[in-house]
Amino acid sequence: MKWLEVFLTIDRRIIFAVVGFVLVLPIIFPFGFRTPVTPPTQKLYDAVEAIPARDKALTISVDYAPQTEPELHPMTIALLRHAFSRRKYVLILALYVQGLGLAEDALRTVVGEFNERATSPADSILYGRDYVFLGWQPPPVIPILGMGTSIRGVFPRDYYGNETDTLAMMKEIDSYSDMDLLVSISGGTPPVWYVAYAQSRFGIKVGAGITAVSVADFFPYLETGQFSGMLAGIKGAAEYEELVARNLGLEDRRKAMEGMSSQAAAHIAIMAFVILGNIGYFAKRKRRP
Amino acid sequence: MNVNPDPWVWIAAFLTLAIFSFLYKENPFYRVAEYTFVGVSNGYFISLMWHNVAIPVLVNPLRSAAAQAGEEGLSPGLFNPVNDANFLLLIPMFIGLLYLSRFFRRVSWLVRIPIAFYLGYYMGLSIPTILEASVLRQIRGTILTQETFSDWAAGLWAVVVLVGVVCTIIYFFFSREHKGVLGAASKVGIVFVMVGFGASFGYTVMARIALAIGRIIFLLRDWIGLIQ
Repeated sequence: MKWLEVFLTIDRRIIFAVVGFVLVLPIIFPFGFRTPVTPPTQKLYDAVEAIPARDKALTISVDYAPQTEPELHPMTIALLRHAFSRRKYVLILALYVQGLGLAEDALRTVVGEFNERATSPADSILYGRDYVFLGWQPPPVIPILGMGTSIRGVFPRDYYGNETDTLAMMKEIDSYSDMDLLVSISGGTPPVWYVAYAQSRFGIKVGAGITAVSVADFFPYLETGQFSGMLAGIKGAAEYEELVARNLGLEDRRKAMEGMSSQAAAHIAIMAFVILGNIGYFAKRKRRP
Repeated sequence: MNVNPDPWVWIAAFLTLAIFSFLYKENPFYRVAEYTFVGVSNGYFISLMWHNVAIPVLVNPLRSAAAQAGEEGLSPGLFNPVNDANFLLLIPMFIGLLYLSRFFRRVSWLVRIPIAFYLGYYMGLSIPTILEASVLRQIRGTILTQETFSDWAAGLWAVVVLVGVVCTIIYFFFSREHKGVLGAASKVGIVFVMVGFGASFGYTVMARIALAIGRIIFLLRDWIGLIQ
């Protein structure tokens, strides 16, 4: 059937227009997308839950840049909400300089949400008591290895220029042995660096928040137990937001979830185009002698 | 609608639309946005590296060492790498500056020195750790034990993983012709490879769509205020 071959010649601009349309429409009129929580996300959530509060720290390594912000930033925000609502100690750092501004933005957002609801200093999230922003030290391997022996040695001053020694929380935390979990949120290989350099040598548990592009490469590390949990792309972020909202009753803005209706619609559109293209291809092949 | 009056938001919106305009065809707006991005990114990165690396790690310690030497004269402490202020930093600075020798043809071979340091350091550091984390632990993950079959679903998946790993490796084994058992195994291997590619493609679509959604939400929410 020759007419089916028209599917092979659809102008790419029509495809872009259709995908654009199906992306925009659900953002304006969301259709209540539900996100079932997958095991890798649940594992990371459970690992954060298991951190002994006011004893060991959760360390979040913000290893992404603005180009992957839509996928990864909601993960950082959701993890911070979870950790702060359970009163866990939080250390935050960046292996790349571009991560500094994003880490600060996530902290400002989440600390602001908690402190707006707080009725007393005890309810508030305070710098130095509940969390410390260590900043950045190049090259990446220096903080990864250095934190195994002394955080204060690698970060004598925090991001804001305070002497790390003087911060109350840091009197109890000075190396990987004082952390229960380290989560690297990254658009590249830093989670594997943490496994290779920090976990192999110092035994720290490592979690990962990664872009969807890297998921297939990183699944083996989850299967072997080298990752204690993993957030896979924007869907992983939306799942974590769902867990935080459902279990902790936090109903703050869910940036990853906002895009999930569009994700679903766009995937259906792209699948439809793939199927149409294949129909056209097989129709053409059948007609050929 | 509640349009944002902030000029920076308007600039960001213009640049976003200019980049999206490439989907129709190449045009001057796209080129302006692209060149702006490249220029701003480089300028931003260089200034960040200068202020966050060169000044605190190199310039300030050397300045302190020079000031100390000016006041008290040269002392062994100024050559102790444990001290923040020490003149030994001149050695890595000199090695680092050799990267610039590439711009001078007669001495361009000197660039090999910092590259050799860099490669030597990272190879020494990486080979044992990467081998342990990404090869040995992964191989260990394919080993079937009695414990693997304590849960039937986990046991089944472990067998699938083992078959997939072995057949995929056979597919990439080119020292013998893929005939007989080797041929059958490599055919199974290619199925696993294709499933892997399919999963990667699906996740890549999700990643790219996520980025587009990020910009669309910025335009609809932060710029024109159409959504809350």
